[in-house]
Amino acid sequence: MTNHWNDLANSDCILMMGSNPAQNHPISFKWVLRAKDRGATLISVDPRFTASSSKADMYAPLRCGSDIAFLGGMINYILQNNKYFKEYILENTNATMVVGEAYGFSNGLFSGFNAETRRYDKKTWAYDMDDKGVPVRDMTLQHPRCVFQLMQKHYSRYTVDKVIAITGTPKEDLLKVYETYSATGARNKAGTIMYAMGWTQHSVGVQNIRTMAMIQLLLGNIGIAGGGVNALRGEANVQGSTDQAVLADIWPGYLSVPNSKQTNAAEYIAASTPKSNDPKSVNWKKNHPKYIASFLKSMYPSASVDEAYGFMPRLDAGRKTTDYFWMSIFDRMIAGELEGLFAWGMNPACSGPNANKSRAAFEKLKWLVNVNLFDNETGSFWRGPGKDPKKIATEVFFLPCCTSIEKEGSVSNSGRWMQWRYAGPKPQGHTLPDGDIFCEMAQEIRNLYAKEGGAFPDPVLKLGMEYWLEGHEFSPRKTARLLNGFFLKDTEVNGKLYKAGQLVPGFANLKDDGSTMSGNWLHCGSYTEEGGNLMMRRDKKQTEEQARIGLYPNWAFAWPMNRRIIYNRASVDVQGKPWNPEKSVIRWDGKAWQGDVVDGGGEPGSKYPFIMQVHGQGHLFGPGREDGPFPEHYEPMESPFATHELSQQRSSPVAFMAKNEQLAVADEQYPFIGTTYRVTEHWQTGLMTRRCAWLVEAEPQVFAEIDTEMAAMRGIANGDVVRVSSKRGTLLAKAVVSERVQALTVNGKTIHMVGLPWHFGWVVPKRGGDSANLLTAAVGDPNTAIPESKAFMVNIEKVDMKDLPE
Amino acid sequence: MAKAFFVDLSRCTGCRGCQVACKQWKNLPAEATKNTGSHTNPPDLSSKTYKTVHMLEHGKGKDLQLLYFPEQCRHCYLSPCMTASDVPGAIIEDTETGAVLFTELTAKIKDKQGVRKACPYDIPRIDEATGIIHKCDFCNDRVRQGMLPACVLSCPTGAMNFGEEAAMLALAESRLAELKKRHPDAVLGDAGTVRVLYLYHEKPELFHKYAVFAEALAPTSRRALFAKLAPRVKSSLG
Amino acid sequence: MSLTRRGFLQFGLGATLAGVASGLGFSLEKAVAKAAAFKLQWTKQTTSICCYCAVGCGLIVSTATEKHPAGAGKVINVEGDPEHPINEGSLCAKGASMWQLTANAQRPPKPLYRAPHATEWKEVEWDWALKRIARLVKDTRDKTFQAKNAAGEVVNRTEGMASFGSAAFDNEECWAYQAVMRSLGLVFIEHQARL
Repeated sequence: MTNHWNDLANSDCILMMGSNPAQNHPISFKWVLRAKDRGATLISVDPRFTASSSKADMYAPLRCGSDIAFLGGMINYILQNNKYFKEYILENTNATMVVGEAYGFSNGLFSGFNAETRRYDKKTWAYDMDDKGVPVRDMTLQHPRCVFQLMQKHYSRYTVDKVIAITGTPKEDLLKVYETYSATGARNKAGTIMYAMGWTQHSVGVQNIRTMAMIQLLLGNIGIAGGGVNALRGEANVQGSTDQAVLADIWPGYLSVPNSKQTNAAEYIAASTPKSNDPKSVNWKKNHPKYIASFLKSMYPSASVDEAYGFMPRLDAGRKTTDYFWMSIFDRMIAGELEGLFAWGMNPACSGPNANKSRAAFEKLKWLVNVNLFDNETGSFWRGPGKDPKKIATEVFFLPCCTSIEKEGSVSNSGRWMQWRYAGPKPQGHTLPDGDIFCEMAQEIRNLYAKEGGAFPDPVLKLGMEYWLEGHEFSPRKTARLLNGFFLKDTEVNGKLYKAGQLVPGFANLKDDGSTMSGNWLHCGSYTEEGGNLMMRRDKKQTEEQARIGLYPNWAFAWPMNRRIIYNRASVDVQGKPWNPEKSVIRWDGKAWQGDVVDGGGEPGSKYPFIMQVHGQGHLFGPGREDGPFPEHYEPMESPFATHELSQQRSSPVAFMAKNEQLAVADEQYPFIGTTYRVTEHWQTGLMTRRCAWLVEAEPQVFAEIDTEMAAMRGIANGDVVRVSSKRGTLLAKAVVSERVQALTVNGKTIHMVGLPWHFGWVVPKRGGDSANLLTAAVGDPNTAIPESKAFMVNIEKVDMKDLPE
Repeated sequence: MAKAFFVDLSRCTGCRGCQVACKQWKNLPAEATKNTGSHTNPPDLSSKTYKTVHMLEHGKGKDLQLLYFPEQCRHCYLSPCMTASDVPGAIIEDTETGAVLFTELTAKIKDKQGVRKACPYDIPRIDEATGIIHKCDFCNDRVRQGMLPACVLSCPTGAMNFGEEAAMLALAESRLAELKKRHPDAVLGDAGTVRVLYLYHEKPELFHKYAVFAEALAPTSRRALFAKLAPRVKSSLG
Repeated sequence: MSLTRRGFLQFGLGATLAGVASGLGFSLEKAVAKAAAFKLQWTKQTTSICCYCAVGCGLIVSTATEKHPAGAGKVINVEGDPEHPINEGSLCAKGASMWQLTANAQRPPKPLYRAPHATEWKEVEWDWALKRIARLVKDTRDKTFQAKNAAGEVVNRTEGMASFGSAAFDNEECWAYQAVMRSLGLVFIEHQARL
């Protein structure tokens, strides 16, 4: 989230699209309804009429996977009807920048497409540069190749008639949403978006979100109270686990993982550090050399930066990063290329797409280590449906960890609040905190390397574990200090002397010469000499101005540097005056900034606000994505349609596809759209909630939610057992025949949908059913390789059974 | 000062925090349930379930509404259940808080079904194993410690409220006035007779058969019983 | 800090029952007195954050002290933290069931091991399990370690093992975990954020 949960109450218009916060983030609705009490309009756009829709002022249905058409039409509406906030886009976005002549778009394809590699050459999307190496800008927005004009041209194709021919949304509903939401382009109005997996789990997931980000920029809704682009993240610490880079393509703090062409630290650092020649562009990433050096020192304190770099694994240069991601790993696993797998606090037998494939892939492993609270479909895959344990050679370990209230440490919520959890009860039985489990394991591995030697032992033996261990045990408090960072030598910064061993006060103090260490620059400032562990703070003190928007700057800590609303510099004009003084986030009082911690520093007008972008401007034109600088509608990889209205390019030309994935396109055998979602009472694969009797009592079995027309057509009654099938598998479920789902007329065709919760699995409960991911396809977004679980094709039929089998 | 609940159904999102918080505080066991095509589960109150959220659909297409009804004992000012008991101390009222409490002595009541039938809202449930009759106890233990009832604390949206009677009534009336603008059928259920006051933003019968104590809805026997027994309760309270 | 702050000071104070209304006889007193055998007597409170979605709701966890019949260290109650600015005490069905997740008899108390071709789990000791895992990890790493890739460029990695997880870790664990995995040369490091 650019903003945070309490801030929702400041909004004048809340769009819930790609999310169902009332059911999946129920406590967020406290703040949504507070906004409504203050007069905000709530809009729900969803293929299904959900609990969130039931509280909204307006609801518009759309077909699964047609969000870019819906939102592209809104961009067109905003531009056609002059609803954009002109002063904001001139100052804060790349609308004025002139794109080079090489850029083009024709019939669904952008310039630079290579059909053989299914990749774009992004060089054709570059800006024209002046002789100082600064992008050429046209402040009149008239240049035919300026972003504003290109954008207008691109989205002029998204006429209302074409949009509804794709989305199936009733025209009056569509227009009502466009009109209402685009009214937040007024300078004293704030509109916000709440989205979740309903947007990410598509082959165009990243571009779904970019389309909305563009709308938010056009309407001047980023940086302000009650605005922003707000991802409702689904796990207590999935923000933190991403920040700490438990991912193949990044190091902590979103630094790129090095590749095989970067043969030393200097080459890697140079490639990771963008340059801007514009003095007004903060270009925050120019600080990467400091962050990289400090991270390498935190890994290997006894080594030099160069030496530490040499210990770090590298990816192959030139390969798509998606080759290293989840679905690609399963391709390798099922091909027998992996020996071992850690499944730590995860249940990949149910959590990823095409679960039958995942479950078959585990059989090829030599060993599998599964760490969790409860036995689950992954650890017990060898005794699952259709498996013969005697034929499976995998050696499997289940290690029981303790629960979150039995240990201490910090978690980062969706609003980037880093909050400390204290240990309450003693770990039950002989369970252990995860940190103790993997640290013990790592120490055993080190013992073996110390004794026996082996392949390149230095990275293993020199890892700075002494900074996170207290004796043999993992110390969250020591590690929290390491994440913040220390001075390694006596250092003078701005006339102040810091002693070796002192905590760094902020990331501005980090050094690129190896004299500081910091595990994650984003955590700098969270643990200080003066304030101690700021993540533990429980002070609700605020200034009157802060209290007006519920900023809570003294409660816990928010990265970066306790900034509560990021890109807040875009909430003021070049004089530092808030667009909306009633709900000011920051304000220049003539001498200093008041309110939130300002982005970028310096006096008003001295800096561009989008400091993480090299040129300092918000991206209406996004030249960094794999699938094009402007979001474009493509059909989901599986779809009831072989063509669509906007181009002859049916699906994303660069979408990620796992090997040998079979797809149903306009296939009569699979005539219905399948989509997965969550219920309040269960969570993710259900591994934890299926063990909680009160939750199982409330939602005991997997179900398939269908409309009444389809139920009549297939002879299915409420509560019947049905078989849902796709190209990849079948699932037995209880039928829930409901008015919440409605058939849509799309381009003259009646389209039905089957909604499925994905929380179930064969281990428990009895007659609970299995995972909806048995049906989903291993295809996904070209940037992230997040699977397209929100739109796939299925069939459904009634089965003559009284209940689901045990 | 006696307390009251105010339940604003227009704000309920059916998150079932209240249903689970109730079981959690009281450590009540779960029931074996099935998905029967409805999300309401447990489907009914029982000796193990003092609160269940009914998840309802009403209307079609543009008129579709999702209604949620967290069902629980109303803690009547004049409790018909109390007068249906022939065992002193089995059904009592804590006059400090206003809670109507069923004690273990309910096991000794001869006509247990009579207690259930006496309730205009069909709340009491008999535990067949022990004979004890169960229902919501107002979280009287928490309330006496100055804490909110578990269900009220857990409610995120302001659907469940709890406090001094006068404050709850004032809140109820202001919310009713507000809702009337958009929901002409909005009504406070049996105001003046119950300590758990529901604000129905649609017709009460859409939420539950026994949502309110109305002649058209309640079986004649219930109404008759209430009418007949109510004065006796009053006199017994002095 | 085990918090004792305004808002939950009343926890664990022990039952100080106000005068019970007279007029209804002894049974009321007894019944109300019984209710006052208060669940949170002899417990201490700590704060935490809900383990489910990323709203970040505050929790108050009540744990038995020595005097408590359940035995010191047992979890007695988990509910929303009324002082927390986001949830103000409220919790959804999942959050409200946190107690049941911890005090849960289905949690295996010790590591389980399934040997190749075995048809059942076997309970094993931590020490044995971790030593055996260390052996397997080292063997795989030594066997599959690539100092250079096919193009002859230095890569210092293994593609012979992968790790999935976890957003269920605390931040400090996440960081230390990625450090351990990267030190072993893993490049296949993925978790919930990819799904």
